[in-house]
Amino acid sequence: MKSKIDLSSINYRAILFDATRCIDCRACMVACSVQNNVPNDVTRIWVAGDAVMGEFPDLERATMPYHCMHCHDPACASACPVGAYTKRPDGPVLYDPNVCIGCRYCMNACPFDVPHFEWNRGVDEHAEIIKCDLCTPRVDGGQEPACVATCPTDALLFGDRYELIQIARQRIKDHPDRYIDDIYGETENGGTSYLIISHVPFGHLGLPTDIPNEGVGKLSESIMGATLPFAAAWGTVLTGIAIGSRQLHKRKQNHADEADKVSEAAPANESASVSETADTEEQP
Amino acid sequence: MKIKIRIPDWMLSPWVMGMVILSAMAILISFIRMVVGIGPVSNLNDAYPWGFWISFDIYTGVALGAGAFTMAAVVYIFDLKKFTPLVRPSVLTGFLGYAMVAVALLVDLGRPENIWHMIIYQNHTSFLFEIGICVMTYLTVLLLEFIPVIFEGFRWNGVVHFFHKWLTLPLVILGVVLSTLHQSSLGSLTIIMPAKLHPLWWTPFIPILFFVSAVIVGFGMVIVESQISARALHRGIEINLLKVVASWIPYGSALYLILRFGQLAVEGKLGYLFTSGVYSLLFWIEILLIGIIPLVLFSQKKVRKSPNGLLYGALSVVLGVVLNRFDVSWIALGGRIFDTTGYVPSISEVLVSFGFVAASVLVFRYIALHFPLFVDEEEYQEENTIEQAHPVKAGD
Amino acid sequence: MTKTISRRDFLKLGGIAAGALALGQLIPPEVASAARKSGMLDASDSGYIPTMCEMCVWRCGVLAKVENGRVVKLEGNPEHPHSRGKLCPRGQSGLMNTYDPDRVLTPLIRVGKRGEGLFRQASWDEALDLVAENMLKIKNTYGPEAMVFSSTHNLSQVQFENLLYAYGSPNYGTQRSLCFNAMITAFLLTYGVEEPARNYEDVEFILMVGRNMMEAISTSETGELAHAIDRGAKLVYLDPRFTKTAAKATEWIPIRPGTDAAFLLAMINVITQNELADCEFVKQYVIGCDEIVDEMSGYTPAWAEEITGVPAETIDRIAREYAAAKQNALAHPGWRTSNFINSFQTERAIATLNAMSGNVLTPGGCLSTEVAAEGAGLGMPPQPPYPRVSALRLDGVPWKYPLVPLKLGVFQELRDAILTEDPYQSHGWFISRQNPILSLPDRNKTLEAFGKMDFIATVDIIMNDTAWFSDVVLPESSYLERYDPLLPVGDKAFIRQPVIEPQGEAKSALWIYKQLGDRLGLGDYFQYSDEEDYLNQQLAPLGISLDEVKAQGYADMPESEEEEGDLTFNTTSGKIEVYSETLKNNGFSPWPTWEEPPFPAENEFYLLTGKVAQQTQMGTQNNLLLHKYSDEPRLWMNTKTAAERGLVDGDWVLITSPVGKANSKILVTEAIRPDCVYLTPGYGHLSKGLTTAYGVGPSDSALHVTYTDPISGSQALSQTFVTVEKA
Repeated sequence: MKSKIDLSSINYRAILFDATRCIDCRACMVACSVQNNVPNDVTRIWVAGDAVMGEFPDLERATMPYHCMHCHDPACASACPVGAYTKRPDGPVLYDPNVCIGCRYCMNACPFDVPHFEWNRGVDEHAEIIKCDLCTPRVDGGQEPACVATCPTDALLFGDRYELIQIARQRIKDHPDRYIDDIYGETENGGTSYLIISHVPFGHLGLPTDIPNEGVGKLSESIMGATLPFAAAWGTVLTGIAIGSRQLHKRKQNHADEADKVSEAAPANESASVSETADTEEQP
Repeated sequence: MKIKIRIPDWMLSPWVMGMVILSAMAILISFIRMVVGIGPVSNLNDAYPWGFWISFDIYTGVALGAGAFTMAAVVYIFDLKKFTPLVRPSVLTGFLGYAMVAVALLVDLGRPENIWHMIIYQNHTSFLFEIGICVMTYLTVLLLEFIPVIFEGFRWNGVVHFFHKWLTLPLVILGVVLSTLHQSSLGSLTIIMPAKLHPLWWTPFIPILFFVSAVIVGFGMVIVESQISARALHRGIEINLLKVVASWIPYGSALYLILRFGQLAVEGKLGYLFTSGVYSLLFWIEILLIGIIPLVLFSQKKVRKSPNGLLYGALSVVLGVVLNRFDVSWIALGGRIFDTTGYVPSISEVLVSFGFVAASVLVFRYIALHFPLFVDEEEYQEENTIEQAHPVKAGD
Repeated sequence: MTKTISRRDFLKLGGIAAGALALGQLIPPEVASAARKSGMLDASDSGYIPTMCEMCVWRCGVLAKVENGRVVKLEGNPEHPHSRGKLCPRGQSGLMNTYDPDRVLTPLIRVGKRGEGLFRQASWDEALDLVAENMLKIKNTYGPEAMVFSSTHNLSQVQFENLLYAYGSPNYGTQRSLCFNAMITAFLLTYGVEEPARNYEDVEFILMVGRNMMEAISTSETGELAHAIDRGAKLVYLDPRFTKTAAKATEWIPIRPGTDAAFLLAMINVITQNELADCEFVKQYVIGCDEIVDEMSGYTPAWAEEITGVPAETIDRIAREYAAAKQNALAHPGWRTSNFINSFQTERAIATLNAMSGNVLTPGGCLSTEVAAEGAGLGMPPQPPYPRVSALRLDGVPWKYPLVPLKLGVFQELRDAILTEDPYQSHGWFISRQNPILSLPDRNKTLEAFGKMDFIATVDIIMNDTAWFSDVVLPESSYLERYDPLLPVGDKAFIRQPVIEPQGEAKSALWIYKQLGDRLGLGDYFQYSDEEDYLNQQLAPLGISLDEVKAQGYADMPESEEEEGDLTFNTTSGKIEVYSETLKNNGFSPWPTWEEPPFPAENEFYLLTGKVAQQTQMGTQNNLLLHKYSDEPRLWMNTKTAAERGLVDGDWVLITSPVGKANSKILVTEAIRPDCVYLTPGYGHLSKGLTTAYGVGPSDSALHVTYTDPISGSQALSQTFVTVEKA
């Protein structure tokens, strides 16, 4: 099979989706399922969007194949306790099922709600997170991702992210009445490798519209980074308190003993005797 | 120390029988889960990957085990030895609680066979990693803190002495550090989801809020556990100690209120207080249960001295913190794009969680009946009953 | 048979499915060696083999990736004009067609009652002997005409027809009258060409009447249309439903069903009244250009508005825009045009519009009549002349339908004649690659017709409904497992070759037909020893070796000489016949004319049909991959209509037509006219041997009434009116 793409010209892999061209045929999904051996009860790509919008006969349609955004700053990679996610320097975010413990924190962390889970697998079947991997082995072998290669209307384009953004900008410029003037994924969550241009507001394609322009993992990571220093400091403080309170109580104890000697006839002080008993139990 | 608890007549009472059945069901459903996966035994789905198990077993389980580190800190770090009778049961509660967390995790984790991976595959940017390591370590700490009781039961006094002399304090300090970390980090898990957790709960300060509320509920749980085990096992309650513990809670609640509202004000979110419908309601209920009721009740001496007053006030704290944990981990955590089915826990999910609790209660009960869990009662009654003529000094 | 494939590697079916599928087929050695030589396969026999898809009739070129004797992925062949490197969802799912756990892999002979699904496995010899025995018995007792043959268009059809003609039966049922009779007959009469080619390179204005190109995907054409729109071409699209094509159209006209011809005639009226067509230029090529003004004068936009519901100004404007684009305007001929009896007139109007714009007169224009005849340039095994057939055709061609081309036939008429036994009885039915039980309208009638047969044999790859009701099922190998005759497309002849050895005992149609032919004493008509021999004979005139073709996937055809000079058309006059003497001579209107369609009663709906991108007619519903990504088949109903009837989305309803009933869930949607409902075709399978498809969705063929256009023989699928009530 002749090589279809020139990998040397692609610094940072990305896909551009043009919603004006999508006909919701789902060839991309079938191709993905076959290429990646996806079991029949789960899927890596799915149809998102409002489909039919409006009132008869003023109608419009909007759908997109929804899958992993391959963020610059993937929340999944930040959140996964065992580091099952890796962000490759050339773009794709990869998932290693062998490391995964199935905690599903990534599903919560991902601002795009991408990772799906194989709920119906027993322990011997090794449940996995299901997620697009930008067809990385296939691309490494010189072919476009399966979805891009098969799209009959060329709604999907694969290439270098910078180039694709230029292409997207040009399309918007050439047909300003056709597109929303925005490229989704250019800055969302700090930038993603799945870029979308559209004829309808992105919310109608099923995309979340409240994603900040900085990776959601950054704040979490900076607070997490303070953990060890904090723990050390806190431990020191607690040790200090422990030593201090013992000193304090010992001094109190000495005072009390002396007071005892003075007032022998008086009934024993409750707390003193209790602590005395306790002291002889606890202290060396 | 001698065992001096009146063993109830009914060995297999309806309560105990009920708990045995519940535990058995939990084990059965867990086994089924291992064979067919999580999907068939729960209503979890891709839009709701976490649900009842996480909220109840993990978040609540960890929070309600806070009594162990708070009481251990009181006794061993702040050197307030008179509270010692409260330490053992709370450490056992803590241990059983965390053990239950670990067992529940085996059911909830998608790949329980890989549960040990956190030890060798470590992602240091992940709060969940931190929680995992802390909980694993803390479980060991709790075990080591508690095991002297077992040894005492077997009368291995030399070993007991060794533990008390060399290990207890370092273990307690380590336990407090670990607890501080993971109690707060359970809240910090949500920092990475600003768009999903409702603004009334999402904040970078959530670790502080979680820690403060953990301390409060720790004390609350000590009171509750003491009350319940007293009634169930027909033993006296250490009312003089408990009333002091109760007296600390208002300070915690006040601090919590200041921090919570202060955080909302600083972040400009006061507008959500009354305009978020059911979420506002939940928020205010939390405030009521964690902040206001305990503050009002436990500022009053007579409430602190009454067994019922203690119980109700403490229950308010516990319920409030449980609600808070549920809100943070489930109810206020929305914003899923592909929610088509919603999520209501299935019966099997609830049975598993309740069954695990029942199992821990059974273990607790067994240990209480056969090991020196509670300090010698006669000694106790003598020194600490409510009829005591000499009042204990404030601040003890 | 496994129900769901949920295991990690769903392709590793061997060992899991009831022993029917063998592990790791090898690539046939001849194919492998050719591919290895050309470098397509590596040392471990992994790589790509070129072949052709068969998930629909577009037949995209495919590069099948094989690893360890299994097909693991299909890619579009960039060198095939129909795929250009792409595959539609059905093409991509082709693996599951081959690895479907419900494949029939041994010959089966019925043991229970018809329709019980009880068969026993048999050897090929036994099964073929039984089929031949019965066919001979029928021939000798009742005459060859008592045997009905039917098959849908496929690459081995030439040999199926060979069998048919050699046997001597005139009774040949194909899907054509259920599909495109209206279009083909109209264009044959008008241009002398069955189906003109469409060229989107320079198109500026496209008028489509139906032809839901974005769902009834023809991979390359769908892509070309999409690119044309992207480039700025305007698409005006007539359809009572807001289909996915409507969503891409510049203008969607939600026209009343059955009234397309009125719209088009009004367009012609506007163009001719206002002299917008370059009639002087077209006059020399078109018969009727002078008189057409008068003839169309009555079809004003105002008149059309009354009928179609489309505002007159809109019709007027669109006509002018169409005309303004001159030869860069394209009125799409359509494909499945079996909607209303007046669909023939609709097609005639479309042909006229194209003539008016001159696009068909421009070499390389949007519409082209320069289509290479299928099979031209390729060789054929020799055969003796066929026996004369004296019996009348049961489908009424040409004695009842004088203008229906012989090779199109009227399949539904054939079925009806089986029932009426007029003019004679039928006793046997041989079916190959077809599912008449679901494809013919009025399923109950078809089942009844089956009941009249003494003997039914079916060739199929899976236990589809027709196979389920047959006496003998002969397992054909899937398209990834067999050779078929070469298919010329453009300037190349493409090969279909086995990517893996057939599973079980499945065999290619070429082999089956020859085996049957031999046993029927017709061996002389099948002068090829095996598939490769057949292909070699096809290649003989080209002087290319089969190995070469196997390696690259095609053979270059010699260029046909371009004829210089004036354009001619294959009509009797040699010109475009907008006015058709032929039609007149047969008692029909010589002009495109308005025939009023029936209208539904107050409480009735038009029952619409139409393709979806994830299925092909009634053959793919069992494919697990397609099932995974298909929408649940439901009855579409307009939101307002549903509200008026107190129905909500998801309710179960009973659909009743004059000939049948069906239950369905409803889909409440804005995307359909309030007076219409729609069912996805091809569901409601009766065969329990289709474990994925059985029980899914309602059957539209159970509801369709049989209506036949007397001119083209076309079935009118949308003329069925139904009532819908809550179930």
